[in-house]
Amino acid sequence: MKLSFYPGCSLEGMAVDYARSIDAVFQALDIDLIEIDDWSCCGATAAHSLSEAMSVILPARNLYAAEQMGLDIVSCCANCFNRLRFSQQMIQKRVLDIPWPVTGDLKVHDMTRFLADPDMIKQIEKRVLKPLSGLKLVCYYGCQMVRPPRITGYTDYENPQTLDRISTATGAQVIDWSYKATCCGASIGIARREIGDSLTKRLLDKARQAGAEAIVVSCPLCQSNLDMIQKDGLERPIPIFYFTELLRLSFSDRGNPRWFKTHFANPVPLLKAKRLLR
Amino acid sequence: MNTPVTDQKNVTQPNPAKKRKLIGDRGNYFLNRIQGETGANVSACYQCERCTNACPVSYFMDIKPHQAMRYVQLGWREDLLTSSTIWVCLSCEMCTTYCPNEVGVAEVINHLRNIAAHSSITPKERNLAVFHQTFLEVLRKSGRVNEFRLMNAYYLKPNILHEKIKSGSFKEEILLGLTLFRKGRLKPFTARSKAIKDIQKAYKQARGEIV
Ligand code: SF4
Ligand code: SF4
Repeated sequence: MKLSFYPGCSLEGMAVDYARSIDAVFQALDIDLIEIDDWSCCGATAAHSLSEAMSVILPARNLYAAEQMGLDIVSCCANCFNRLRFSQQMIQKRVLDIPWPVTGDLKVHDMTRFLADPDMIKQIEKRVLKPLSGLKLVCYYGCQMVRPPRITGYTDYENPQTLDRISTATGAQVIDWSYKATCCGASIGIARREIGDSLTKRLLDKARQAGAEAIVVSCPLCQSNLDMIQKDGLERPIPIFYFTELLRLSFSDRGNPRWFKTHFANPVPLLKAKRLLR
Repeated sequence: MNTPVTDQKNVTQPNPAKKRKLIGDRGNYFLNRIQGETGANVSACYQCERCTNACPVSYFMDIKPHQAMRYVQLGWREDLLTSSTIWVCLSCEMCTTYCPNEVGVAEVINHLRNIAAHSSITPKERNLAVFHQTFLEVLRKSGRVNEFRLMNAYYLKPNILHEKIKSGSFKEEILLGLTLFRKGRLKPFTARSKAIKDIQKAYKQARGEIV
């Protein structure tokens, strides 16, 4: 199977570990991800905050490049996915003139929903060599991936299940909690630290209260936001995993501690205690 | 709304600082404009406050989301454009999703932010406005946004730099940057997108236009 892949800017910097684990997982699943030719930034929060026109045009350039390749798009960042979908809908509605001949007919997948498809889950289960049994997780979706439902197409936006299904397939124990889709405040964290921190700390607290040992995320911004606040070493650090990191770990019979060396909340002691890492 | 002040003769007079605003003195121009430009049905809002209760940052806003909808109905444009609300909003879409009347609250607030950005009004949350601006500047230059370049450009904005040095958090930021670099998460040089030429053309085309 072939898909065009929109990595997004974070994957080249802050989210290197996400990038590596995505490569490994899709290789194991025999799916070719072909990077969109000369892709450019989707504009994220800044573009639609300052100019709504730009927030349609910027992703449109990438949709156009993917249409040239003729492959459905998969995006691994919640914000990029949201912006691509939004732009696609605006193009279909012909809201404004786009400088490129783009139809907006391709499918835009977000990576979690793509992998949580029943057929893909079967493929994943087949490849799990070492079930992550005993690992207690909560799944955190964030806001941009599930909301607004008319753009993202999620019907279960109050209690999304895609990450839960994938994590369960790796053999981990998934705990239910009420903060699955509460915003982590990443977009505001740099300019107004105290607002961002208040949201992030609440999420960590609630995850701990739910009895989780780690949080699973699928968005580079959520990960760095939830991870970096633990840089000063909390009493009980709570590692933040990308879901692909867990898949990669379960696909190999002996994980490698080096895979997690960019994390601030170091997951290695937890994984060693659970005998999931040698 | 208007707090009475008592003068020496014991006659209550309205506080001039809190002048009473007239309701409906401007017609529905602003309401119609916002509804037309965003497609949001602001007139349907019946002030149930569900949006405000769902909003994760309403605590930090001076005009709460449900109040903002009322302000739009009343045409209180200046109050909205000078509010912190429009900049603090995270566009997390909680409000829109949970509104029983399908008022596009987040879309309206985002649109107000657009209008404020294209006006001469000084944003109440200056840092947030500068951050968005810097993001687009970096994007315009290299087609992709490298975190290293973004943080550099943002921290070197005159006011931000001044603030950081004064509050003493500058050193902390540099240390964090170094840690990130050592962990391999901050890359000073990453590929640029050659599509930037096309994008610049698009920028020109879009300048000054509002969707
Ligand atoms: S939830 Fe909707 S109807 Fe209720 S106050 Fe907010 S905008 Fe108005
Ligand atoms: S979109 Fe803005 S106003 Fe609406 S809930 Fe989120 S932060 Fe609050």
